Amino acid sequence: MSQVSLSPFPFRPSPPFPAFKDVSSDRQGLIQGLTEPLGMVYAPLMQAYGTAIVAGVSAGQGGKEIQGTPVFDMVEQAIAAVGSIQISVIFVPPYAVLDAALEAMAAGIRHLILITEGVPPLDMVHLLRRSEATETLVVGPSCPGIIVPGKILLGTHPPDLYAPGSIGLVSRSGSLTYEVAQELTQGGFGQSIAVSIGGDRIPGSSFQQWLQILEEDDQTEAIVLVGEIGGESEEMAARYIAEAIDKPVVAYVAGRTTPKGQLIGHAGAIISARMAGMGADVGTMTSKVTAFKRAKIPLAKSPSEIPLLLKRVMKA
Amino acid sequence: MDLLEYQAKDLFRQMGIPVLPSQQIAQPRDLKGLKIPYPVVLKSQVYKGGRGKVGGIKFVENTIDAVAAAQAIFRLPIMGAYPEVLLAETKYDADREFYLAIVLDTSTRRPLLLGSQYGGVDVEAKLEHMQQVIVDQEFSLFYARRLAIKMGLTGELLEAVSAIIAKMYSLFVQQDLNLIEINPLAIGADGHLMALDGKVVIDDAALGRHADLAALVATTPQPVENPREVYSEQLKRVQLNGHIGVLCNGAGLTMATLDLIQSAKGKSACFVDLGGEYRHPCPPSTLQERLEQGLDLILQDKSVRVILINLLGSIISNPQVAEVIASYLSRRNRNWRLPPMVVRLVGDRLEEASALLAQANVPVVPSLDDAIAKCVILAQAKSA
Repeated sequence: MSQVSLSPFPFRPSPPFPAFKDVSSDRQGLIQGLTEPLGMVYAPLMQAYGTAIVAGVSAGQGGKEIQGTPVFDMVEQAIAAVGSIQISVIFVPPYAVLDAALEAMAAGIRHLILITEGVPPLDMVHLLRRSEATETLVVGPSCPGIIVPGKILLGTHPPDLYAPGSIGLVSRSGSLTYEVAQELTQGGFGQSIAVSIGGDRIPGSSFQQWLQILEEDDQTEAIVLVGEIGGESEEMAARYIAEAIDKPVVAYVAGRTTPKGQLIGHAGAIISARMAGMGADVGTMTSKVTAFKRAKIPLAKSPSEIPLLLKRVMKA
Repeated sequence: MDLLEYQAKDLFRQMGIPVLPSQQIAQPRDLKGLKIPYPVVLKSQVYKGGRGKVGGIKFVENTIDAVAAAQAIFRLPIMGAYPEVLLAETKYDADREFYLAIVLDTSTRRPLLLGSQYGGVDVEAKLEHMQQVIVDQEFSLFYARRLAIKMGLTGELLEAVSAIIAKMYSLFVQQDLNLIEINPLAIGADGHLMALDGKVVIDDAALGRHADLAALVATTPQPVENPREVYSEQLKRVQLNGHIGVLCNGAGLTMATLDLIQSAKGKSACFVDLGGEYRHPCPPSTLQERLEQGLDLILQDKSVRVILINLLGSIISNPQVAEVIASYLSRRNRNWRLPPMVVRLVGDRLEEASALLAQANVPVVPSLDDAIAKCVILAQAKSA
């Protein structure tokens, strides 16, 4: 049974990874849920950072203009009006996320960033069946999205904590990603890209997918992976790094002192492992530390130790 | 959210999964009005597993024995939990016991069908017989047949078990479940199938679109809440056993902060996580409200000698955070002396924020390590 939860690869082969450059170049972006509270806050922040957010979609609000951005009722209407759109950042309420994502994919958009927290997992299963068939890259839900420092912001990262550079940062957290980013920036390590895949049980893209994207990205020289206790994604990522990643990797996992049964927030994937009797230990700090040790990946004790470990692995 | 066995069986019955005639027993004397014939099995309705091994399930032949058995079960804690209700169910003679379940598998990000011919209490001891099938595309009956065949079933049993799996899958999707389990699925001598015990876990995020399940959960006593958790309107405080009260935003950052406090030889008194920034709907003003509520919760804990506030994000600016804290302090300080506070902020307009908080005598420390070191010293100084 243990191969179910610990396998580094899904049983089915993953769809080909969409080209990484498509998200980081300055192509046109759309916000679904522009008139939602978070859309209203973050659209101007993204635009101020230089991201080409050219339209918003909010059903029933078509024809309006929000802070200079035209609003449409449907994605296809937005595309007809503003030309081709490659990326959609989705802020709609949780039970509307699946529909918004299906609508975007039907309109030909192949990069989706789901910010909203609380999307039901079975909606994600439905969404993933479609995204895999259409080779759409999905980030989130429940995440701050992507930042390519100095170039593009697709989500809610606070840009002032980031700086351009050559470290690829991939994380399951929100604000802990910012913490690590600012330690990197302070330590002289700018970032080529930072992505949070979100802490939900069924994320749109996995650590492995992003490790592969960072491995292939020319701007990225080393990778920092930030995890949390709970779930099995760190164990799977460690196995994947050992088998498929040549660039140096430093990892950090939060939750060493979190009392048992006191997982904060993201309950992670423990339930499937526990219920199906797939090994009680998966998800604990010990299990994750062992996985990184076995893969010979240095594990930082604190965010501020990450730059020190990076110096060591990048010299080697 | 877990359901109790009798609630799970109500769902099974609605879906046409065979279950035995049964009756809920709220107190031992209810057994005098029992409508199902003896022999009967009485089962403790608790959220924990393993009740059979400690005496939470008893077979009875008549009313006198049943009342005595019910009294015993009501007084019997199962891993610390007492039942509010028992389930009286017709006794069933199983020829064989299978295991069936559907879970969401996080590694493949798909529902996973699980099945074994070796079910019952020893299912975990016979895991090598557990078969699995991933439902990678839209469900169809063939996925269920695929599992049944892997389980080694043939003929009529193959079809009957597949039909049960399909019904379980319908429930799984219709009700947004994280888990549906039948263990054991009894096979009678006549070849009929019967779900003798069931487990159902509802996904909390989806509860908002299932009014019937939400109502069911609302009327059922839930598992005893962790006594170390104290709730306010939107937040909770988790009690630890030190002197530093921790207020953070986001699960990962909260865990990292608690880890760092321990590394610095400090002890956290409690923590409050204000939550991530992408909760919907979440206008910026709610973060300010949550910050005030969080401070209220931490100040209610009398073991707190120092408060560490560690907030990172962009939904409200550093000066706005400082303003909320400063005005909170000026309101509260009029009434009594508050413990010292260290505020950790980084990023834009830090000087403005520092100036605002300097008036309230609260230091703003940009480095998390430094902020924690300061808290540890303050906590020790107060204890000396």
